[in-house]
Parts: sequence; C-alpha cells; structure tokens
Amino acid sequence: MTDATKTAGVGWPLRDAVRASLARRRIRAVARGAGDGLALDPMDVGIDVPGLLLEETRELGPGSPVLVRIVRALEHSGGAAAVVDGLFAPEPFRRERSARLAGAIRSERLVPWLAPLLSARELSVRQAAARALGRIGGARAADALLASIQRRGPSPRLVIELARAAPDLYLESCLKSQRRLVTRHAVAIAAGLRRRHTAVTPLLGLLRAGSKRERVAACRALGWIAEANSTRALAAALDDREWRVRAAAAKALLELAEPSVAESLQGCLADRQPAVRRAASRALRRMLARTSGENGGCL
Amino acid sequence: MDGSGRLDSAPRGLTARPMAAPQLQALAGSRNRDLGWPAPQEMLARVAILEQAAVFYTLPDPTLRVLARRMRPVTVAAGDTVLHQGEPGDSIFLLSSGRCRVVVERPAGHFVTVALLDEGDFFGDTACLLNRSQPAAVIAQTDCKLLSLDRQSVFGVLNRQGHALDELRRLADQRLRTYTDTAVQASWGMLLEEATIVGVYSPKGGSGGTCLALNLVGALSRRHPGQVLLLDLDFPYTHAALLAGLVPTTCLARTAAAPREAFEEVLLSAVLLHAGGPMILPGALKPEEADLVTPELVDRAVGVLRRTFRYVVVDLGVSMSDATLAVLDQTQHLVLIASADLSAVKSAADALTILEQLGTPPDRLTLVLNNRVPRPAVSKQALERMLGRSVDLEVPYDLDRPDRAAVDGEILSLTDPRSEITRAVGRLAEQLEATHVRTAARPQPAQPPPGER
Repeated sequence: MTDATKTAGVGWPLRDAVRASLARRRIRAVARGAGDGLALDPMDVGIDVPGLLLEETRELGPGSPVLVRIVRALEHSGGAAAVVDGLFAPEPFRRERSARLAGAIRSERLVPWLAPLLSARELSVRQAAARALGRIGGARAADALLASIQRRGPSPRLVIELARAAPDLYLESCLKSQRRLVTRHAVAIAAGLRRRHTAVTPLLGLLRAGSKRERVAACRALGWIAEANSTRALAAALDDREWRVRAAAAKALLELAEPSVAESLQGCLADRQPAVRRAASRALRRMLARTSGENGGCL
Repeated sequence: MDGSGRLDSAPRGLTARPMAAPQLQALAGSRNRDLGWPAPQEMLARVAILEQAAVFYTLPDPTLRVLARRMRPVTVAAGDTVLHQGEPGDSIFLLSSGRCRVVVERPAGHFVTVALLDEGDFFGDTACLLNRSQPAAVIAQTDCKLLSLDRQSVFGVLNRQGHALDELRRLADQRLRTYTDTAVQASWGMLLEEATIVGVYSPKGGSGGTCLALNLVGALSRRHPGQVLLLDLDFPYTHAALLAGLVPTTCLARTAAAPREAFEEVLLSAVLLHAGGPMILPGALKPEEADLVTPELVDRAVGVLRRTFRYVVVDLGVSMSDATLAVLDQTQHLVLIASADLSAVKSAADALTILEQLGTPPDRLTLVLNNRVPRPAVSKQALERMLGRSVDLEVPYDLDRPDRAAVDGEILSLTDPRSEITRAVGRLAEQLEATHVRTAARPQPAQPPPGER
C-alpha cells in the first residue's frame, strides 16, 4: 500500500479488490492470447485466485484452446507447480485452494493427486476435491468419486459430482454391473441427476429387481429423467410392499404428471403411510393443474 | 517439483521416488478390481480396434497404447439406444463387435437411417469433439461390445499430437454434414411434397414381382387416383402394360433421343393411363431397347416423375443392372419378393446380402413372401430361418385369380376385393403410407371400394 492510499484512508479490502481486478485482467489477456505468463500466487490470502480463474473458465469445455492457453501460462510462470505442491501441503487451507484451482483449470492430469483428498479429515478439503473432480470429469475422475462413495458412503456432494463427472454410459454400465452392490443406489441417483435417456432401461431393471434402497433411488431417478416409457413401471411401484418405494414412485409420478396413472395415485390417497398419501396428493394436484392448463383453464 | 513446472510433474515431497501409474492409482484409490489395467491380450485387441480407424492408424504406438489403456468396455444389448439424438455427449465409442444403426429423426416422427456401423467403426465424435448435441441416435442392431473413450482422455492424450485432434475434429464435422445431407436427401420428397419412390425387386423370375407391383400401384391409386405410376424396368421383356390390358406405343427407352428441353413432355406423353386410376410407363417395348435405358436416363426420368406423381413404383425385375442400381439410389422404400421354393430363397438371401452391403436401411426394406402354389415346398418358418430375418408380409395362395386377371387385362386390387393379393397389397400400401407420411398431406377425394364400382 502506498503512502498516498494510507493517508487517503483507503483500507486493505480496497487494495485487495484492486489486485483482484488486475489479476482478472491478466487472466483475460492470456485468454485472448495477448500474454504467455500468468504470475499468480494461488495461495495469496488477499485474493481468491481459484475463484477468479473459475469465473473466467466456467463456460470453457475441456480441450478448449483458451483453457489450454491459460494452463500453459500458469505452467510457464510456476503457478501450476504451486498447485501440485499445494495438493500435498499439510495446511488444509493450501490443499483446499489447490484443489479448487485444479478444478478451475480442468486438468485431468491432476486427478491422481486429487483423489486422495477425498479422504481428507477436513470437510472443506474433501468438498473442494470432489468439486474439482466433478468439474474435471471423465472416467478417471468418476472412478475416484465412486471409490470414495464406496469407502465413505454416498454424501450428496459426492453423488452430485459423480453425476457431473461421469462420461456417457459410465453410470449405465455401473447400474448393469453385478458388482458395486454398496453404491448402486447412489449411482442410480447420479444417473437421475444426469437426466440421460440411456439410463432409463437399467433404472427400470433396478426398479424391478433391486433392494428397497435401490428401488427408491430408481423411482426418484426415473422421475427426474421423466421419460414417458417409465410411467407404467412407476405406477406398478405404487403397489410395492415398502412404503418408501411407494412414496418415491408417487414423487416420480409428480414429475411426470401423466394423467393415465391418476387412478393408481388415487388409490394411494388411502395408504397407511402419511408420506405416501402426501406424495400422491401432490402428484394428483400437479396433474390436475396441468390438465386444466391444457384445456385453457377449463376442467 | 522437478523444475519443469508442468502439471504432470510430481509434487516436491514425492520427487525422490516418482510414483508409477499403478501406485498412483492405489494412492488415489480410484481403480477397482474390475476397472484395473487391461490384460495384454485385451490391450492388443484394443489397439487393433483403434488401428482400424484411419484417423488413429497414423498415431505412434505409445499414444495408441495410452488410448487403449484408457478405453472403457461397455456392453449394449440388441435394440438398446446407445446415444439419443439431441442429448449432449462426451465420449467416442468404438465398435469392438456387433452392429449399430445411426438414425436421424426428421419432422413428424419420420426416422431416417443414415449409416450402418460395423466392427471397427466409431461414433459419438461429433458431440464429444465439437461440443454439440448428438446429431443422430445410435441403436444397437445386435448385442454390441463397445470401447468408450471419454473427452478428457481424447484431449489429454491427443493434445500432444495436435494433428490427430485436428483430423478427428475435421472428420466429426464432415460426418455431421454427411448425416444431415443423407437425412435431408432421404426425406426431401416428403418435405418438398415430391413422390416416394418404391422399388419392387424379385431376385428370381416367376416370383410374381410384376403382378405384385401392378397390384400395389392399383392399391395406392385407389387412395391417390391419378398420382401413382408404375415404371416398368423388368428388362428385357416388360409386360406390366400388357398385364393391365394396355397397349403401349412408346416407352422410356425411346425418350432418350428426345431433345433435353422437350424431355419432360415426351416422357409424360409416354405414360399410359389405366381406367382404374394407375398409370404405367413401360421401360422398353423391344428387348433390344433395354440397352438404351442408361443410369443417366433413369435419373432424369425419375427426377421428372417424382415432381409429377405422389408414388412412383418401379418394377426392378430380376437383374441387378446399372439402371437398377441408379433406381436403388433414389428409392425411399424397397419391396423384396421371394417365393417359397429353394432357388428363390437362395436368390433372396443373396439379394438381402447385396442390399445390406449397398446400405439399404432395414426399416426401408419390406420382405414379401408370395405363395404361388397351394402347398409350398419351403415353409415360412424355414424361409425366415434361412434368410435370418422375419417375413414382413405374406401373400397367401390366390387360386388362379392372378392368371385369369392377366388374361382379362385386369388389376386385381381394383376389381376383386376378395382376392388374397388385393388384401396383401392393401396392407403393404397401408405400411407405405404410414412409413412415408407427409408433413402436409394433400386432401384426396374418397374412392369407393372396388366392389362398388
């Protein structure tokens, strides 16, 4: 800080804001191809370098020339080395920052270094690593996330990032596989979050022959994908012996709002479980609203 | 750090003993037993599959091995949709075994098969490399084994081989344009309100191909009077006009000498009108005139006819000539006639193989079994077993009705509603109408059934 700013009463936050603005400009210049060095300190406590990079690279796909330029510039100026070192630093703050930066530059080569951070003791590090792997994507990142789900159980963050990271037909293959019994319900949820129609067939298989937990997950996932082909199977699940499955099926039918299953849903209004009754009632209301909307407000 | 500053260099604490890849995997805990390193034989097989694609063939061996190691095996059951049109995609799939079909959905639920994929082919590249949604759906025709390469692996490995990535992108772009062109070409008649070209091919003489083609034209012209034409290319002896009780005075072959500007007029003046509605254009009146019907003449004639009619049914006869191939290129639907005797079945099997090699989409091919005798030597089940596909339509034995109709110069589908042939071609016409539905069908006057004439 210069003497002039000190005397003018300009505080540290403003100084950091100016530095952040300069850093952003440097990143944009490299993205434009106007510079080949990006001297940023990822561990700078004053500015959130990973956040800035993420902001600038959010829309860029892997392999995009702009992203490649930014990564090269980071490598030239030593920033990339700091990221790799930071992933193994003892301080949680450095590991978290490095993980976020690895995610921002979508470097698939860092996946083997990010994967162990999923087992870190600190929640912030684990979450940053999961987010980074989700953003990097690809089969290796999905493998790491799936392994972590197997070890630690399916936390929402891990499942969301698995849905983001998994490449085409990855989750579908896992659902069909006879192994990974522990994680199949988490995979089903991830497949639902991805909303790919290729997952419908394996999810229907899971709904037919899965455990209680898997059937519940399959119902929710089919609801999110909302393919008309799954309506009949979901209507059949309304008669499942497990109330959680019945409730999940009613919730899925709420997403589909298919009038042909109104009768089955009405049957659920007399279910012993309040959760099933509530879900069925909501689904019927949605259906009614949609029907009245299609009929120009007339029932 | 090793001083290089690259992202794939090891962190400071680990520089003394660089970790091997399996150790990294163990450290990451990301490799399950079932996703472990592929066995050497598996690696060789994967490299062989990669090398079948020209774009990968030029890559150096180490790069091919890295790609092969990163591939993920995926199995797909017959009939499953591997990729959905319009969805995003991030993987390239190489077909290790099995067969797939690439389908583009055009407006009004009109599906066009734009490519057939076999072992060694790959797909999914357009969405993966060009960041676009899938331009076409891919459906497994048989149980398939695929090898998938995700986008990260493709970019991670091929970024170091800049030209390969550019080549792949160029190929993906080219493929996208080809799919679009093929889909438009296959449905342009529908979009431009032009005729649907239906080829009727009977690989063995005496299977009743001309009879069925004539009756199909009759059935279609009942629905669209004055808008259906039979182009008789059953060389060297074209008898469709004779069977319909018409006497031709000119033919397609003779229009070859017409000046270019008068071609359309000369061609349309050669068309014979049957009292029941259908129209017939003989290919040649004499056997020696058949040579005048060149592929160029067929192209020009079909171009004129498809602008004039709603359906053009082409009797392709027995031979697979240049003219036949020219028509095949332009047909939207092909009807293959087989009769229930051993030699006809053998011919039909050969024809199916040829048509498949020519890229005829299975959904555009109708296999018709024509029973010309009361007790056929080969049963329908046996025929299906030998052909390896089901019969789409069976024409039951129709007594002596076809022969009597030929002598009387009548078209059964217009005169005899109780004939088995009438019923069968009626079903075929319905199928064609359903498959080649138009986006904006022109209203047609209702026709009374044949019995009420």
